[in-house]
Amino acid sequence: RMSILEYNGAAIIAMAGKDCVAIAADTRLGVQAQTVACDFRKVFKMNDRLFVGLGGLATDVQTVDQLLKFRQNLYELREERQMSPKVFSNVLSNILYEKRFGPYFIEPIVAGLDENNKPFLSGMDLIGAPVYTDDFVVTGTATGNMYGMCETLYKPDMEPEELFETLSQALLASVDRDALSGWGAVVHIITKDGVTSRELKARQD
Amino acid sequence: RTATRPPAWSITRLLPRPDHAFRSHAMSSLMSAQQAVKARNGQFALPIHSSEGSAGIAASFEHGAQAAGGGVHGHAPHADHIDHGVTQAPYERRFSPYEFNGGTTLAISGEDYAVVAADTRLSSGYEILSRDVTKLHALTDKCVLGSAGCKTDIDQLRSVLDIKMKVYEHNHRKSMSTPSAAQMLGNTLYNKRFFPYYSFNVLAGIDSDGKGAVYSYDAIGSFERTPFSASGSGQSFLIPLMDNVISHKNRNDDKRDLPSEEVVEIVKDAFVTAGERDIYTGDAVEIMVITKDGIKTETFKLKKD
Repeated sequence: RMSILEYNGAAIIAMAGKDCVAIAADTRLGVQAQTVACDFRKVFKMNDRLFVGLGGLATDVQTVDQLLKFRQNLYELREERQMSPKVFSNVLSNILYEKRFGPYFIEPIVAGLDENNKPFLSGMDLIGAPVYTDDFVVTGTATGNMYGMCETLYKPDMEPEELFETLSQALLASVDRDALSGWGAVVHIITKDGVTSRELKARQD
Repeated sequence: RTATRPPAWSITRLLPRPDHAFRSHAMSSLMSAQQAVKARNGQFALPIHSSEGSAGIAASFEHGAQAAGGGVHGHAPHADHIDHGVTQAPYERRFSPYEFNGGTTLAISGEDYAVVAADTRLSSGYEILSRDVTKLHALTDKCVLGSAGCKTDIDQLRSVLDIKMKVYEHNHRKSMSTPSAAQMLGNTLYNKRFFPYYSFNVLAGIDSDGKGAVYSYDAIGSFERTPFSASGSGQSFLIPLMDNVISHKNRNDDKRDLPSEEVVEIVKDAFVTAGERDIYTGDAVEIMVITKDGIKTETFKLKKD
């Protein structure tokens, strides 16, 4: 039997560009080898400048998304301002560590623009240990593939159009060599002027 | 026939019935370990599974009572003394004949050339044994074998192949063609189907029509001719990249035939990537370009961390 983190399958990458970030994920939902849905969302918009990608057990993906929305709403009601990506990442880390000895089986990534429109990226393991990078973060069942693609194709300070192309190629090539991810993909490009979301034409196998 | 007796064809009749006098073989080591601990300490140790194997941490529920009558049993075991299973509950560690010595190999075929590359690091666990060991081996002047895996198995496989090649040359008065060498390697690996060579191979060369050929293998000899092949610890970093750049998958621009110089540059980039993300890959990469005129070798330095 495979690991619980590989039960449903996922592939999510976030990349930083020049004053923009992009986050992309596949849309497959499977139960081990059987594909059950091709339109399962794993990247959630928290606000126009903050996205979170949740890879791992699908039930926890949806539960943690709801929990995050709840915590974010409380924060905004109390503080009367939007949560910055750094704070959000910390809140997520806290939520995960609270369940240290019975964790949520997800490995999330956070992508957003901070107050100065500079890109923010962070990744975490299932108990909330964060890592902050300035280039890219990956998570899911095809991490080896994704690291290879991103490491080779990435260059710093890409404009939104080039970032989109790079991220799309990295994700598509990675999921095509992983049985548990694929069946379509969604890419979100976040700039200070707004979010552009596109669905990629991908192999449906 | 009573209701409780299972039918004759039922598989449960073949399994040992649960009986305290008879323990099933798989459970015996764990249960005997627990019994041993219990008998010696008078208290039950919770098995903990760690990288060192199963250990027992004594959970003293009756520690107070134990201490009171402690003189008879000898010294009461300390609750914080972790026994790694060697004194109280001995277990057997299986000897593994295999070891992974690391490395990554990559081979790409072109119109009239083949490129094969491999890093030069030899490792064992987290240690580096050498920064300068080749993983490439020329079988003929038109055919090179790259192998990653267990070094001793790789060396032995090469010796066996060399001998078979020599015998072929004596019998047929010509050197082996690349497709024939590919088949021979597959057969040699399958001969050890039930105690395999721990060797993940790629074979690259020029076929009988002068075109570049690459063959990928698994450890027990299943092989096929492919446009490119990567094996070893860094293969998952390289394969999707090759899909995109060599086979032109998921791309809208036109596919074009790449010259060997460009492919060598791609190979260098790929190994830099693998060296970054894979701990077993690094130090240097040896790149061989095989054409009908022979084999040219180039060494490209990588990070040593």
